[in-house]
Amino acid sequence: MSSARLRFVLRRTAVMIPVIVAMSIFVFLVIRLVPGDPVRTMLGFRANDENVATIRAQLGLDQPLLDQYLAWAGGLLRLDLGRDFISNVPISQLLGERLPVTLELTFLAMGLAVIVGIPLGVLAATRRKSMGRATTAYAVAGISIPDFWLGIMLVLLMAGTFRLLPPSGYVPFLEDPVANLRYMILPVLTLAVAESAYILRTTRASMEETMGSPFISFLRAKGVSERRITYHHALRNAAIPIITVIGIQVGVLLGGAIVIEVLFALPGVGRMLVTAISQRNYPVVQAGILTVAIIFILVNFVTDLIYGMLDPRLEEGDE
Amino acid sequence: MSSAAASLQARRTFGGALRGLTRRVGGREALFGIVIMLVLIAVAVFAPWIAPHDPEAIDAAQVLAPPSLEHPFGSDTLGRDVLSRVIYAFRVSLAVAMGSVALAFLIAVPLGLISGFSGGWVDTIIMRPLDLLLALPALLLAITLIAIVGPGASVALIAIGIIYLPIIARVVRSSVLITKGLPYVDGARSRGVSETAVLRRHILPNSMGPALIQGTVLIAFAIQIEAALSFLGLGAQPPTPSLGVMLNDGRDVLTLAPWVEIFPGVAIAITVLAFTLIGDGLRRRLDPRGVTR
Amino acid sequence: MSDPILTLEHVSVDFQMQDHVVSAVSDVSLAVRPREIVGIVGESGCGKSTLAMATMGLLGSQARVRGHVVFEGRDLVALSEEERRALRGDRMAMVFQDALTSLDPTYAVGEQVAEAIRAHRDVTKAQAKDAALKLLRDVGIPAPEHRYDEPPHRLSGGMRQRVVVAAALANDPPLLIADEPTTALDVTIQAQILELLLAMRERHDTAILLITHDLGVVAQVCDRVAVMYAGQLVETAPKTELFRAPRHPYTQALLAAQPTSGLERGRLRVIGGEVPDLSAPPPGCRFAPRCALAFDACGMTPVLEVVGPDHRAACWAVTPGSAPTSAGQGSDPIMSSAGVGS
Repeated sequence: MSSARLRFVLRRTAVMIPVIVAMSIFVFLVIRLVPGDPVRTMLGFRANDENVATIRAQLGLDQPLLDQYLAWAGGLLRLDLGRDFISNVPISQLLGERLPVTLELTFLAMGLAVIVGIPLGVLAATRRKSMGRATTAYAVAGISIPDFWLGIMLVLLMAGTFRLLPPSGYVPFLEDPVANLRYMILPVLTLAVAESAYILRTTRASMEETMGSPFISFLRAKGVSERRITYHHALRNAAIPIITVIGIQVGVLLGGAIVIEVLFALPGVGRMLVTAISQRNYPVVQAGILTVAIIFILVNFVTDLIYGMLDPRLEEGDE
Repeated sequence: MSSAAASLQARRTFGGALRGLTRRVGGREALFGIVIMLVLIAVAVFAPWIAPHDPEAIDAAQVLAPPSLEHPFGSDTLGRDVLSRVIYAFRVSLAVAMGSVALAFLIAVPLGLISGFSGGWVDTIIMRPLDLLLALPALLLAITLIAIVGPGASVALIAIGIIYLPIIARVVRSSVLITKGLPYVDGARSRGVSETAVLRRHILPNSMGPALIQGTVLIAFAIQIEAALSFLGLGAQPPTPSLGVMLNDGRDVLTLAPWVEIFPGVAIAITVLAFTLIGDGLRRRLDPRGVTR
Repeated sequence: MSDPILTLEHVSVDFQMQDHVVSAVSDVSLAVRPREIVGIVGESGCGKSTLAMATMGLLGSQARVRGHVVFEGRDLVALSEEERRALRGDRMAMVFQDALTSLDPTYAVGEQVAEAIRAHRDVTKAQAKDAALKLLRDVGIPAPEHRYDEPPHRLSGGMRQRVVVAAALANDPPLLIADEPTTALDVTIQAQILELLLAMRERHDTAILLITHDLGVVAQVCDRVAVMYAGQLVETAPKTELFRAPRHPYTQALLAAQPTSGLERGRLRVIGGEVPDLSAPPPGCRFAPRCALAFDACGMTPVLEVVGPDHRAACWAVTPGSAPTSAGQGSDPIMSSAGVGS
């Protein structure tokens, strides 16, 4: 790795850390703003002043805010995320079970969207007439249709009418890969359709702009084949906006995954969060939101690194 | 002029005017989008006169009836007319979507202008906290905010508005940065125009283009987000009608009466489509270089 | 006098815009002989760049090219795109005005030269690299091994233009089209690049079609000059002859309008009026609206007629006795060819 690249990586890592810290503070405070006493909610009808006070002391809720934060943050660094209010299960264990589901869903969906979206986008940009109308229609439709509605329609078709795929349920990949994929196809497809539409549009726009650059003319003047121009030169230059969108869209997908997990009853972080929120189970909510945020921050970090590799101009000095 | 020549003349000018309009909005598709949007707004505004039935009217005799003349979209589990329910629910969705974007504009545009124009530590103070908001997926943030305050349509509106603050502020700020550096701004300054006047007269109008485009795109997203929130039970609460809630309820009778599920979804899709097309057209006209997302 | 390597015969280029047609080049006929440096001069928008792009076949789908572009005996307009591609970079090459935007910013400069070779020759990567290094040395880049892997933005403007020339001449093409190669450069670098072009002509036996608006450049390197105005070719002559005795009113005005470096004071001579709108050009000679010598016959497009040794001008007022007398009969303003090449 060249020294310029190494410095670039270190710079980016250094920037990431304050962001994560700020995020943890933000998450911590936001959750504390939840009105209503979580302990009372948790105890339900068994709540009386004595019980409430005991539980509060047990959970450290009577300490000053700063102490609570430091205790929690310290725990985070030891990968101790606290315990679920309700079930008392360690949250790190919960996350360990649920995170792979959400990650599998998100990354499979993004993977499929990229495999479909980028080639179609390139074709739409380089072969205006034939591919243009069809891909535009697909792209616009993909963006407009609400993804969970599409999911429901797919369930209607696949699980209802044709009885091909199960409408809900989950099996971990390591237990039974085939069954796992059978359960995941519909959820992944649902997310991937809208996602591929975004990627298609971005790819097409970026490619069209790049293909209009003067260096493309010079490449043609050199007699380089159109194929090489499109895939070797144009795509590389067009890649940066595309990768930017992919980075942002991972975040959007993580959000969309929440709804899809609820829809298809997948045991992922999203569904855990929705349930925890309604239960005022705030250690879980805290840990869950922070986890998702960190995933997103990491994705952005990787995106930045990829930029640097693609375009040497970006590695020198920051904007 | 004879009547035949006159009507030919009229058609030519109409055709010319139409072509001019098409070009101004950025294409045929955008024109199409505008037409749909106007129709949708009309439907929302005139709902009480357009809806064929009372959306809450229960009719035990017509439970889960397929689409017919009397119920063009069919009826649901309580015999209520789906078309009327869709119209009223759509009203709410559209209001939330446009309201949230309007709210975001109200706060974020001044912030973006000041931030971009002043630069330096003012810029940092304004932008850093907003950037933090960007680090979370939109839906997640909305769910969190609603979890704090409690569910409801107005809460959803505010939550979505908050999510949009950093996006709009960034877009306005980028435009300001670009405009600020243009020679005619220096020209105005060298003529002795005051800073506020420069901001108001030169920077502001030229920074609004990309913001407008972003606004239409965000309205489209907002419809989706509101639907997702209601679907999860976090948006408009009964008795307020909501497309997302209808989509959730429709699941129960999916195989028996798919129309209960299909039509609310189609309504959302058409609305998002309209605003997306408008956004695309505007982008072609105002922001070919891509300051927006 | 050997056969011309490139012959443009009645080449016209129209652009199909949304609701109108732009006539960018109108009936241009010109020949370039082997090893000759021909300059095409004219102000911005006169169609010289379009003509160059049309010759290379690099215009987009909106352009309609009429006429014949005969290169090494073949009409390029009639060839398939693949056949033209095979010729580009191999037999005919082009360099553009701005070297920075001509090069792929994400790609090493040396590789971009090697690529030109590999596009037309069946060689290994190593062989291409060796050849590219040699070419870079030839164009005057010191220690090319160190520069080979650099991205374009790390090189100075002059060096980048040398890289571009190296890539263009990689396969010894007999024709090089240079579109404003010095416009984006400092004056001192300009001189170096012009020297380079002359040297390349010697070394590779290349004919050069040099597009420029700068008469100084023309004076330095060209053998022959062609003057264009509003898409029409108005005068061609050997360089010294043109500067000594310009015959077309536009050429005369152009030369007179050059600010002189002498110490005499006086007003700058400007050409009154404006360049015509090419979507609705005036019929006949397009300079007529601004020309002091215009008369009835100018409504019909003048033909290039001999006015001196190897010297032609397209102007009824200047070519003795050839002005049409039947000016008002609505006949075809595009006259048939009367003299092309030698």
